[in-house]
Amino acid sequence: MFIRTTGIQSLAHALKIPSSRFSGALLQQGLNERLQRCYSAESSPGLADPAAYCRELVRKHDYESYLLAAFYPKEAQGGYFAIKAFSVELAMVQDNVSNATIGNMRMQFWRDVIKDCSQGKPPQHPIALALHDAMQRAHLPAYHFKRIIDARDAELHTPTHLTIDSLTSHAESTSSTVLYLLLSLLSLSSSTLSHAASHLGVAQTISTLIRGLPFHARQGRMIIPAEVTSKHGVNQEDVFRHGSEARGLHDAVFEFATFANDHMITARDMFKGEEMGSKVPRRAVPIFLSGIPASNILERLEKVNFNAFDRRIQVRDWRLPWLVWRGYYKGEF
Amino acid sequence: MSFARPRLLVGLQPYTRASNNTSHIYTALRARRLLSTSTYSRAPHGHQNPNLSSGLDERMHRHHETTPVYNAQGSEVDPYKDGPSALDKAVHLFFFTEIIRGMWVVFENIFRPPYTIMYPFEKGPLSPRFRGEHALRRYPSGEERCIACKLCEAICPAQAITIESEARADGSRRTTKYDIDMTKCIYCGFCQEACPVDAIVETQNQEFATETREELLYNKEKLLANGDRAEAEIAANLYSDHVYR
Repeated sequence: MFIRTTGIQSLAHALKIPSSRFSGALLQQGLNERLQRCYSAESSPGLADPAAYCRELVRKHDYESYLLAAFYPKEAQGGYFAIKAFSVELAMVQDNVSNATIGNMRMQFWRDVIKDCSQGKPPQHPIALALHDAMQRAHLPAYHFKRIIDARDAELHTPTHLTIDSLTSHAESTSSTVLYLLLSLLSLSSSTLSHAASHLGVAQTISTLIRGLPFHARQGRMIIPAEVTSKHGVNQEDVFRHGSEARGLHDAVFEFATFANDHMITARDMFKGEEMGSKVPRRAVPIFLSGIPASNILERLEKVNFNAFDRRIQVRDWRLPWLVWRGYYKGEF
Repeated sequence: MSFARPRLLVGLQPYTRASNNTSHIYTALRARRLLSTSTYSRAPHGHQNPNLSSGLDERMHRHHETTPVYNAQGSEVDPYKDGPSALDKAVHLFFFTEIIRGMWVVFENIFRPPYTIMYPFEKGPLSPRFRGEHALRRYPSGEERCIACKLCEAICPAQAITIESEARADGSRRTTKYDIDMTKCIYCGFCQEACPVDAIVETQNQEFATETREELLYNKEKLLANGDRAEAEIAANLYSDHVYR
């Protein structure tokens, strides 16, 4: 499936910070008025309606997951958004803080939140309230939440990975653990499903990282493990300065993406056996639909010849709602 | 910039040359062409390749071969005596043309829009990450965001934040006192970063000068009022370049 074409490599698009980030005070005032109107129009997500807050947060920061929510049973959607909002919130901590100590404090806050939620007295945080509500409806083991928090906490200190193995274990503690939580949310416990979810989580993390490569490079972080980059002689500074023109980067991205694709194939193969009927079990389909956005990114990456800096990777694929819908009815990802 | 300047300089050169009102044109010209002022002096020296000889050495020693000029009394005549001094040349070359070039910049800017902004009425651009006056935010439904976790108080390097909290009747913990001493604050933005509910933020307002010091000791009401005033702006600024990982 992953055959490297030798065609002309697509044009590199130098990434620029959008100029809209700096706006004059006069413009700001006009914007204020417009936003004020938006605010009054929408329902008021907040402490009164934690589910709406979580839905808005997921819609804003993780649109792919927002799309998948429609395929969950109605009564599980609140829990789905709560878990996803929790994961989004933790993932964004490191962008919000300027040093690791502040990040550690926030992680400690979330540890306390999980402890308080399982003791039945959540703090007045919309995500905590939503999580508490979900914990009442389904059995969500607290150690899964703790595992995510610990992994994000460790990531604050070491945002880059030396080996693929350490990245894999990090992905299993974050993306895969979110999938385990979703499995618990739908009360599905089977070793096959968990095993498939662990592989899917790794593929998800890597595809998201590749998609975020230009962003991370701008922040001075190399997200491809050093093991892979050193094999292809990629110079980090070269990537930060010249983006896609860096020597060996395309090969490194190719190898990294192949690794994700292998995990994706392994996850798919779990359902190939005769006891599964070569289909994802009906009730577990919404969870494994999250493989569709991930494989979509990998396919588009293949189309642009593994140039992670291509703008076509950065934009959201307009066919995604259709692909997800088709995946749901065919029971595959 | 414009093509006018190099041409101006070229046009002035005959003038500077003509101003050497001396009969010893030859010596004056030679003084102008001193090796120390020539660009050739930066050429690599040595004899690595005989084909690439620059002839520098011959030229460097040429002035020794010129026979000194003697006057009627038999004493040596200084060939530079009637020529311009180094200072004269500097004045002509740099100071005078500098005036012209400076005036040219002025002339160009007559036709350009003014850079000045009428400050209190007109304001320059600010980054969305600008850290100015503090504010406490509310949820769109009107409840305070702050849950009295005291992370901001703990992280504040200047110890400018003081919080007291108590549990309300419904069991939720809220602040009864949230004071920021704006005279202590160093605007590092740590409180904003530490806040897990995005309650305390630094707005873009930088114009909060007061007449007395006491007015800079902000209490909760003042901070909430700031938040209510700038909520839309804060919400827009918080939406920055995050990626989901």
